[in-house]
Amino acid sequence: MKVSLFITCVCDMVYPTVGKHTVDILERVGCEVDFPTAQTCCGQPAFNSGYLDQSKKAMKQMMRAFEHSNYVVGPSGSCVGMLREYPKIFAGDEVWEKRAIDLANKSFELTEFLVDILGVVDVGSTFTGKVTYHPSCHMTRILGVKHAPIKLLQHIKGIDLVELPMKEDCCGFGGTFAIKNAAISTEMATEKSQHVSETEAHYLVGGDMACLMNIGGRMNREGKKVEIIHIAEILNWN
Amino acid sequence: MGIQISNETYKERVKKGLEDRFMRNAVAEAQERLKTNRVLSEEGLGNWEEWRTLGEEIRSHTIEHLDYYLEQLSDQVVKRGGNVFFAQTAKEATDYINNIVKQKNGQKVVKAKSMVTEEIGLNAVLQQEGVEVVETDLGEWILQLDEDPPSHIVAPALHKDRERIREVFSEQRAYNGTSQPEDLTLFAREQLRKDFLSADIGITGCNFAVAESGTVTLVTNEGNARLATSLPDTHIAVMGMERIVPTWEELDVLVSLLTRAAVGQKLTSYITSLTGPRLEGEIDGPSEFHLVIVDNGRSKILGSEFQSALHCIRCAACINVCPVYRHIGGHAYGSIYPGPIGAVITPLLDGYEKHEELPYASSLCAACTEACPVKIPLHELLIKHRQVITEENPSLSEKMMMNGFAEWASHPAAYKLSTKMARPLLAPWIKSEKIKNGPGPLKAWTTTRDFPAPNKQSFRSWFQKRQKGEDK
Amino acid sequence: MIQNREEFLNRIANQLNRPRQKNQVIKPVWKNQPQWEVMNHFTKDELVDVLEEQCKVIHTTFKKTSKENLPTILHETIIEYGGGPIISSKDERNVRFGLDRLYKKLTSDGVEVREWCEDKRNENVRYSERANIGITFSDLTLAESGTVTLFNDKANSRTISLLPVNYIAIIPKETLVPRMSHATRLIHEKNKNGELLPSCISFITGPSNSADIELNLVVGVHGPVQASYIIIE
Repeated sequence: MKVSLFITCVCDMVYPTVGKHTVDILERVGCEVDFPTAQTCCGQPAFNSGYLDQSKKAMKQMMRAFEHSNYVVGPSGSCVGMLREYPKIFAGDEVWEKRAIDLANKSFELTEFLVDILGVVDVGSTFTGKVTYHPSCHMTRILGVKHAPIKLLQHIKGIDLVELPMKEDCCGFGGTFAIKNAAISTEMATEKSQHVSETEAHYLVGGDMACLMNIGGRMNREGKKVEIIHIAEILNWN
Repeated sequence: MGIQISNETYKERVKKGLEDRFMRNAVAEAQERLKTNRVLSEEGLGNWEEWRTLGEEIRSHTIEHLDYYLEQLSDQVVKRGGNVFFAQTAKEATDYINNIVKQKNGQKVVKAKSMVTEEIGLNAVLQQEGVEVVETDLGEWILQLDEDPPSHIVAPALHKDRERIREVFSEQRAYNGTSQPEDLTLFAREQLRKDFLSADIGITGCNFAVAESGTVTLVTNEGNARLATSLPDTHIAVMGMERIVPTWEELDVLVSLLTRAAVGQKLTSYITSLTGPRLEGEIDGPSEFHLVIVDNGRSKILGSEFQSALHCIRCAACINVCPVYRHIGGHAYGSIYPGPIGAVITPLLDGYEKHEELPYASSLCAACTEACPVKIPLHELLIKHRQVITEENPSLSEKMMMNGFAEWASHPAAYKLSTKMARPLLAPWIKSEKIKNGPGPLKAWTTTRDFPAPNKQSFRSWFQKRQKGEDK
Repeated sequence: MIQNREEFLNRIANQLNRPRQKNQVIKPVWKNQPQWEVMNHFTKDELVDVLEEQCKVIHTTFKKTSKENLPTILHETIIEYGGGPIISSKDERNVRFGLDRLYKKLTSDGVEVREWCEDKRNENVRYSERANIGITFSDLTLAESGTVTLFNDKANSRTISLLPVNYIAIIPKETLVPRMSHATRLIHEKNKNGELLPSCISFITGPSNSADIELNLVVGVHGPVQASYIIIE
């Protein structure tokens, strides 16, 4: 099966290893992975800030970039969630609506793709350690991906998976919200950090690097020793 | 008072909220309990999503044909001997009510909790005329005694603890009992019973009007709305123009959604459906009934991309799941309508100028949208607000940044260059792969959180090398 | 009297970008109707069980009795609530279920008992206000929520179930329906057939309560502080 990787701008620049693990996993389960280099950012930073025209420029670029892909798979619930919103955003646009629907229909978040499309729940990973999982907001509520990551995590050999209290609560990232309303955002991150501490887990796993960057950045500043790991990395652990 | 409840800036209000430890604990506990109750009662139905879909369907249809149903409603009210006044503005509504009170020579008004009467600032108008206005919902009465605005649309005094309430009762009403909720409540019962028995006029809101029969339905737990509509000789009900259902069959569905979503009850203690004044031979109930239907900015929402905001049934489920509300509390919104729904409707009803920050008081986590029993896409409406604001009144520096973003994200070459340049540009601030005191917009982040340094090698450059067989 | 209607409704139609809708709007058949699936195959006995369970949730005492035994059970409940003064609705069912004899007996025992009397407005309200117990029959009973429905009129006045400290609802088993949908459908049909709806329909679910202080539930606020349901098999 041919799969195009949608790396997301955050992973491309800041967390490239997440992309490497994603490629590894996809290849291990039998996919042939390519990387359309015309891809940039899904447009969410501008879209969520209310800059529709600016965000559409990014979105069109993404539609062009993945024009010829069969499947588009990305390691982020939020960024893939944005792609899925394209049809709503381009509704009524004679040129772009069709292309938006096409991209939305073939785009999947990594765990969703593994479990729901490929039917894989065990990717052959082994990981010893106490782990808790933060189900990010857009992954669960925009994409509706709630069970796939859990199923995959439960099949990791040796994992000690503990539930995060109030797990469905936002970590306070919210893109420009973290800057514009930094004080509120910090309180939300602090609360999330407390909940992570309550689990006594050593590792915090998530499917969205931006959220992990926020929680991890706060925990680091608080001097906590919890490590953040993207789900692709823990699924590729041996 | 009106919609706006504070002259402080947004920043000041947020700061005050964040510093109020008691309020934050109270709100966190309340949210937890209300949310748990709601989820349990929804799960109890087994097919909550179908209920939500039905609720949405009913609300869309009704609002889409609002003129028809309001006409039917008003005809039916009159048929049953009531009066209907259509008020375009808050002032028209309060003038009309004020006149009725004068005509009746009303000295004392008992009120049951109603957000729309807060919205039109009714109490102040009546009090200025020398009328005694008594809020009879326990939470509202506490706030009235303490001259404090509500911070939640269902539990208005959520931000006060029992000790503060005891103080208020003792300062204002010479109460000398304990701070036990039972004792405080009993005291309120005794005090307010006298007011009910001596009031000339009862004023209530309206949860849902039933168009087919001209019926006003009130959803309460305390029984104050029943008293206010049984004892005084005149009843004035005030409704936002969108609070209407076609028939009794839809009333059932929306009441069921409301009580579950608001407090997790299958039904509240009292659902009271009133049709016209009392009938021949009846002893209690008013001899005169007035229905005041309020627009006050709502019609502007019709036909706009915000129309679904008028589907709201004021259950506060969105408020009860909102993490931003949890940390800053209701007063920080500066509006009688707080939380996600408040951030959506306040700028629509009261203008962007006074409330421009509200659409940004959300991380867009969509917990509100998920909780809404009539499926209002609240977080999407917040984004739409942001679009309106950036079109009409953009911050120039932000707009420049976003224009830059658009160029960057639509030109792969520029994007690729930035993956190489980000790290060198930020180099002065990078210490052991972290940025702890970043420049520009990063500063707001790095004041409280570390920010990771851009990686030495971008993914795309790694992938390229890998394909060439240079890296693995 | 209706004031300002035309201008107001024209504005709405205008905003909705269409002419005023003067002709009958046909309400669609809703695609989802989950309300009719709730307990739709339950027998009356099963509904009684649901009601009994729900009474625990709504802080209401639940009693079951035969028709013959009703006066005895009601008498017991009155004693538990501390006796009179008592106000009861004026209801032909008082005679049918033998409550008139109980009330006479109580009166002769020195307990103050009154049936609602329609021509003495203030006196009746004042009496209800100092009454210890209010007693009415339920016209329709909703098992799911534990709700008694009262079609309030000149004989079953609003304040009987509202002003006294204690409230007793007598529930003939045949008034039981699964949920509110059945009650509202019936009212909808009545209205459609041109019947005059009561000026007040009260759906009452247990005693009054409030959670306005720190979200602590306090039972008994402005309405009754305690409530009992007596169901007649």
